[in-house]
Amino acid sequence: MNMHKIISGLFFTLAMTLNFGFFYGDPTQLIEHSAYELFAAIIVNLIATVLKLGDRTQLGAVLLATSIVADIQLIASATVWAFAEYVAQNVGTEATTAIVSLSGGALLANAVSVILFVGDTIKSKR
Amino acid sequence: MNEQIIWIVLKRLRTPFLVIIVTFSISILGLVLIPGTDPQGNPYQMTFFDAFYFVTYMASTIGFGEAPYAFNYHQRMWVSFTIYFTVVGWFYGIGAIVALIQDEGLRRALNLNIFRKQVQNLHEPFYIILGYNSITKTIINKINGVDYRAVVLDKSPQKIEELVLENFYPHVPASVGDATNQQMLKMSGIHQKNCKGVISLFENDMVNANIATVCMLLNKKIDIIIKATSPEQVAYFHNMGLEHVQNPFDIISKRIYFGITSPHIWLLEMWMYGHILKLKSRDRFPTGRYIIYGNGRMGKAIAAGLKRANVEYVLKSFNSKKYIKQKESTIFGDEEDMQKLIDLGVKESACIIAATKNDILNLTILNSAKQLNPDIFTMARENSLDDLNIFKAAKINKIYVVEKILADATYNFIARPLVDLFIKESRKQTEEWAEIIVNVLNNITGMNPKYYETQLNDENAYALNIELQKGTPVTLASLRRSRENREEMLQIVFLLLKRGDEVYLMPDSQMNLQVGDELLSVADEENYEDFEYIINNIYELNYVLGKEENKKLFSLDMWKENETDEA
Repeated sequence: MNMHKIISGLFFTLAMTLNFGFFYGDPTQLIEHSAYELFAAIIVNLIATVLKLGDRTQLGAVLLATSIVADIQLIASATVWAFAEYVAQNVGTEATTAIVSLSGGALLANAVSVILFVGDTIKSKR
Repeated sequence: MNEQIIWIVLKRLRTPFLVIIVTFSISILGLVLIPGTDPQGNPYQMTFFDAFYFVTYMASTIGFGEAPYAFNYHQRMWVSFTIYFTVVGWFYGIGAIVALIQDEGLRRALNLNIFRKQVQNLHEPFYIILGYNSITKTIINKINGVDYRAVVLDKSPQKIEELVLENFYPHVPASVGDATNQQMLKMSGIHQKNCKGVISLFENDMVNANIATVCMLLNKKIDIIIKATSPEQVAYFHNMGLEHVQNPFDIISKRIYFGITSPHIWLLEMWMYGHILKLKSRDRFPTGRYIIYGNGRMGKAIAAGLKRANVEYVLKSFNSKKYIKQKESTIFGDEEDMQKLIDLGVKESACIIAATKNDILNLTILNSAKQLNPDIFTMARENSLDDLNIFKAAKINKIYVVEKILADATYNFIARPLVDLFIKESRKQTEEWAEIIVNVLNNITGMNPKYYETQLNDENAYALNIELQKGTPVTLASLRRSRENREEMLQIVFLLLKRGDEVYLMPDSQMNLQVGDELLSVADEENYEDFEYIINNIYELNYVLGKEENKKLFSLDMWKENETDEA
């Protein structure tokens, strides 16, 4: 057990849970999805990504890849939101579902990360 | 290697990235949470986009002003905190990234990577040159881009910088690295198909031996050109199976031997190295007693040469380092020294050779000898090319520049293999033979002809190759005709013909040529150009071989010829 493992484990799990919190709810109702939660999910995801930078192990590389996927999805989700709000001046149902489903995709990537992480922990004998 | 650099960079970027992410997110969150006031006095909440936009330009110190509305005091208090917070984080992050780019280790890794790529992108045959100094510089200048390319390895970064400042064209990939290190040799392309060989001419024989062993193990197919200064070392290398051992002292010894016993063989060799093809009286080695001052590697080698030539000589041992220490001077010639010279018999001797390791000592020894015996023939060893001018000014009869001899011999071996072969073969001949050759060359090609190496292949002899493949017998004599009037002779001499492993010195003019033959020919530029025309141009060749008689008079009337062909 080492500190680095705890911290990165924490961030991976937190990224998933926060993302789930944002994703959960009626996908057509924007009011059921909090912007704060999306913000938190993005930040935590970015941190999780940075923590995996330069990890030369096989697992590290896969984790880096999945968390970059999650970053891209979440940032895309936030961009769609900002675009709908300020450029299109109207966050309609279409935009709302796009925002939520993009974060849903990120949630999948987060889930993969966590599964890999847990799997690695189980595999190690100590 | 490449992968490794990326990992190092990424790992070191972790902290700066984390700092930037955390400072930004805290500032953004604060701005979103703190209620603002619009110009009408209504409360409003900044959105994440507003906050992100504002913080981004604030943190990078661009500062477009307060947006979307002027801030109230709550917001301004938070912003004044975040300014310090994010700017510090931003500067730290940027600073760390810039420091990483300037990092010595990373730069070295990147340079190595560039070097490796450059070597991989070499498609011409190349030599790996170990150690950059005036010898290898001469070699690079001669071969680079002409016959071969070069790759240089040197331990010292200063030497590599010197090389970079030389601006060789085409580019010479060079890297700092230990020449005995296998990894570095591999990176220099020792395993590449177009790697012709390794040149190792270090001062220290041990280093050369070390390198030779490593290179032999890494790639058996390449030529290893190595310097060895003692007979034992040469024998050792030969036992290892190395054929191309360069011993500069041996070369000097042989030159002196031939210079004394058969000056025309000496002349032929020297001509190959740029001497005019005429034996001047001042070139002739004197007969009489020789004094060799200094019995180091060179002194011993010369003594061996003189012994073979049956010349009386005295070998005087002289330790230049000890001398300098004792007398605290590099000027030879106080009374004691003069007496020594007289004891050695300077006044009765015909020649004195200064062969110590110190250039200034060599000069002053010869000067002192000249004072005692103005007619004495002087020869000096010169160790480095740097003070060549002093030696020239000192009016010494013969100067042996060890570095230059080494560079020239190596160059000949690499780029002029037939010349190398010719020198070897001519040494087996007699003085009379050499004299005839020199006379023939003088009569046909003049006093300062050039030599050319030509391999009869599609690239160099297109037309001739077609004829030869058809099975037409072509003799050397039939090619030696002027393309303006085939009854006249082309002023060219064929010195040597190499066919596979067979070597024909002064090949018979009735000999039939074959595809792939290598020819060493002597001519002036104009005549050689004509010869090239003949072997490359079908019309010229046909005319010279007498196939299309009277068809044309002028070679440049190609268009006319085409017309008649079509008609």
